[in-house]
Amino acid sequence: MSSIHIPEDIPVRYLERSKRGDLLVAALVVVGLGSFVAALIVDSHMAWISWVSNWLFFTSVAMGAVVFAAATTIVKARWNWSTKRVSAAFAAYLPFAFLTLLPMLSLGGSYFPWVAEMAHDPILQSKQAYLNLPFLVARNVVGAAALFGVALYFAYLVVRPDLKAMSTASGDHPGRARWRDRLGVGWIGQEEEEVRSWHRLQVISPVLVLVYAVVMSMFAIDWAMSLEPHWFSTLFGGWFFMGAFWAGIAVTAVSISRLIPLHPDFRTSMGLQQRHDLGKLAFGFTVFWTYLFWSQYIVIWYGKLPWEQAWMIRRADAPWGNMSALTIFLCFVVPFAGLLGKRAKLNPGTLSLFCSVILVGLWLERWMLVAPSLHHDGDSVFPLWYPLIACLFAGLMLASVRWFLATFPVIQVWQPPEPIEMLEPERATSLTPR
Amino acid sequence: MATATETSARGAAPHPDVTSYSDVNRDILAILQRPGKGWWALFGLATAGVGLMFFSWGIQLVKGIGVAGISKPVGWGVYITTFVFWVGIAHSGTLVSAILFLFRAPWRQSIYRAAEAMTVFAVMTAGLFPLIHVGRPWLAYWLVPYPNARFLWPNFRSPLVWDVFAVTTYFTVSATFFYLGTIPDIAAAREAATGLRKKFYQFISLGWRGTDREWHHFGKAYIFLAALATPLVLSVHSVVSWDFAMGITPGWHATIFAPYFVAGAIFSGMAMVITLTVPLRKVFGLQAYLTTKHYDAMAKLILLTSMIVLYAYLTEFFMAWYSGEEIERTSFWDRLFGSYWWATWTMLVCNGIVPIMLWFKRVRHSIPALFVISIFINIGMWFERFVIIVVSQHHEFVPFAWGVYRPSMVEMGILIGSFAWFGFWFLIFCRLLPPVAIAELKEVLPAPMRRKEAVDHG
Repeated sequence: MSSIHIPEDIPVRYLERSKRGDLLVAALVVVGLGSFVAALIVDSHMAWISWVSNWLFFTSVAMGAVVFAAATTIVKARWNWSTKRVSAAFAAYLPFAFLTLLPMLSLGGSYFPWVAEMAHDPILQSKQAYLNLPFLVARNVVGAAALFGVALYFAYLVVRPDLKAMSTASGDHPGRARWRDRLGVGWIGQEEEEVRSWHRLQVISPVLVLVYAVVMSMFAIDWAMSLEPHWFSTLFGGWFFMGAFWAGIAVTAVSISRLIPLHPDFRTSMGLQQRHDLGKLAFGFTVFWTYLFWSQYIVIWYGKLPWEQAWMIRRADAPWGNMSALTIFLCFVVPFAGLLGKRAKLNPGTLSLFCSVILVGLWLERWMLVAPSLHHDGDSVFPLWYPLIACLFAGLMLASVRWFLATFPVIQVWQPPEPIEMLEPERATSLTPR
Repeated sequence: MATATETSARGAAPHPDVTSYSDVNRDILAILQRPGKGWWALFGLATAGVGLMFFSWGIQLVKGIGVAGISKPVGWGVYITTFVFWVGIAHSGTLVSAILFLFRAPWRQSIYRAAEAMTVFAVMTAGLFPLIHVGRPWLAYWLVPYPNARFLWPNFRSPLVWDVFAVTTYFTVSATFFYLGTIPDIAAAREAATGLRKKFYQFISLGWRGTDREWHHFGKAYIFLAALATPLVLSVHSVVSWDFAMGITPGWHATIFAPYFVAGAIFSGMAMVITLTVPLRKVFGLQAYLTTKHYDAMAKLILLTSMIVLYAYLTEFFMAWYSGEEIERTSFWDRLFGSYWWATWTMLVCNGIVPIMLWFKRVRHSIPALFVISIFINIGMWFERFVIIVVSQHHEFVPFAWGVYRPSMVEMGILIGSFAWFGFWFLIFCRLLPPVAIAELKEVLPAPMRRKEAVDHG
């Protein structure tokens, strides 16, 4: 392993806007929205299950990517100097995540089984303080606003010191200039901006991670766990948000693999080091996801308590068993075998392939957290509505991330040159030999 | 060996007060010279404590396990609590040497030798407790599965058997890892030693000469062992946690136990590294090697794991309420306000509240403050295991079977003795093997050749 070399002059490069890309986004959104409307008419129950599962997945991906950027900021990682902007770009999706959450809050009794069961179930009545609709709406709005707000502030801090470099680089266009002016209010000078952003990032990144753990656990409990209101698992929240973090790593790897062919600068800066490290992390978290899954499974299997194993049995038996097996196959077996070797991590094609498998696996995992709990006899275990409605969310994510990377430099131009503690007085005064 | 330390020309050296290779050899090998009064005093104390432990154990062997306070309903008491405590302490060594190595965290270099040694001795301490707890240690080999005339097989579905495998595997790999890492340093010590000591070093350094080929193989072996040891950091304490989580006792049966125990283990292990290295640094004058930067990094790791542990505590309390199960709710209410409220609040304050101070840089940079906090954490983590193990059992399903457990003098003697036993080995280690890794430290120093060149060109 060698030390990480960060070039002195990082070129200002944007993602080129392309008609084909815009067309793809438009097609995805139209298909997704159309399908959702059609599904509402044909089978509104399934339409909402698909919507919520997709919301959980795409919010996980976006938040996971931003928190991945925050985590590497906290540990002052240098290897991802060229890829952390790509991770942070997923913050652009968060306003859509908030908007797509709002219709879910109006679902009430048509989505949450506990609303109807409350009247005649003493156990549910004893937890009415948490399981009630006004509180559910309030905590989700406040939680999502707090989480997405902190994440967007993080992205703002990351971008701000680059605004100057954007104005001096060629190829400015009105949209970009508008955002540059809007975000650059109160500019205090390049170096001062970098120092200030860096200091603020040191504070806001741990805050983001804390809010992430709490709010994502809440999303998991509210939108998935409470659907079988007698079931509870202490690991459920942790399993959910660590899976999301893993999705953030995978989506970063997929994105850079898509960027690499677009420009020689991307190819050189998102090099072997970056791909190897992203591959190692994607592989490591494959094992970690499985570890968490297993830690939850074995305890429930061994305990054999009726109310606890019901959740597992529903997912292990017909008709859901095969879907569960497929999820584990995609989340563990394929990426584990695929990313074990070094070569697969270095090659953008294979890295992107196996990270896409991870994303599909997690997309199914989110479905499996929700759909079996709301299953009625005769429902399909994998209705086409799910992928069709996913198009809407995927389109919004693609649009927002593409917008971000076309508006702000794809590779962060300002770089914190040295880990800050290396410059402390103790270091500076004691260089003389004893 | 291969490490990615990012040093640069801008004075970012990790050890600014250490200028040359010979400094390192001189300073570190000086520790192995004649011990001072302080060392002898500590060693005397440790030996007395070991005496106390074996005396107490002797009483138990002669009179039977009845002299311990464990009985119905609390069958697992101080012994198992202390077992889990020491297995937890054992975690930081492998974390520091394997996981931080793979994550390319350069600050591990100064502390990893001490942490690894601590791991080995902590497992040695932990390993005593199942033997003490079973009451008849001469039958302990029954736990080992082998074809035998008695047609006795351990029950493979018992988490206790998994534990035997997990802990012995961990001990084997961490001891191998520890030994492998010391070989070049033993060779360095060999050069400076005389007499019987030299013979001893000659033997255990396996004829290390420091050739390119040897370093090449060494580096390969090191990274392979690091990769193999990484899953072990997670597996050991997960399996230990399942000793409890597999049971349906309220307070034990929680899915979060495995990751929560691992985080707790790293939390307590890092705290113990601080508790041990602060005096070590002071007594042997290692201030130039263990700088505030190293303590700052350790404190951040402690802060992270304390947040995970706190998350787990709060999740457990929330889920106990959310479950709607009478027994879960009662059990956790009893934890907070029942007979053992003092143990629970000690745990919450020491592990959840005290580490909050580490958010402040001034605290992280004050070594006395870190030392005090680390002792709080050690106490808190012992009490965490006490709360989980004892408090959960004393208030189970049937009110008829509720009861209060009080540790006996024998158990307390063995508990105190276990710290002495651990200290005993650690003190011997400090005198026998370089407690700071010489070879790895040199890697992060400017190489002598290159320095001269720089001067010439300058």
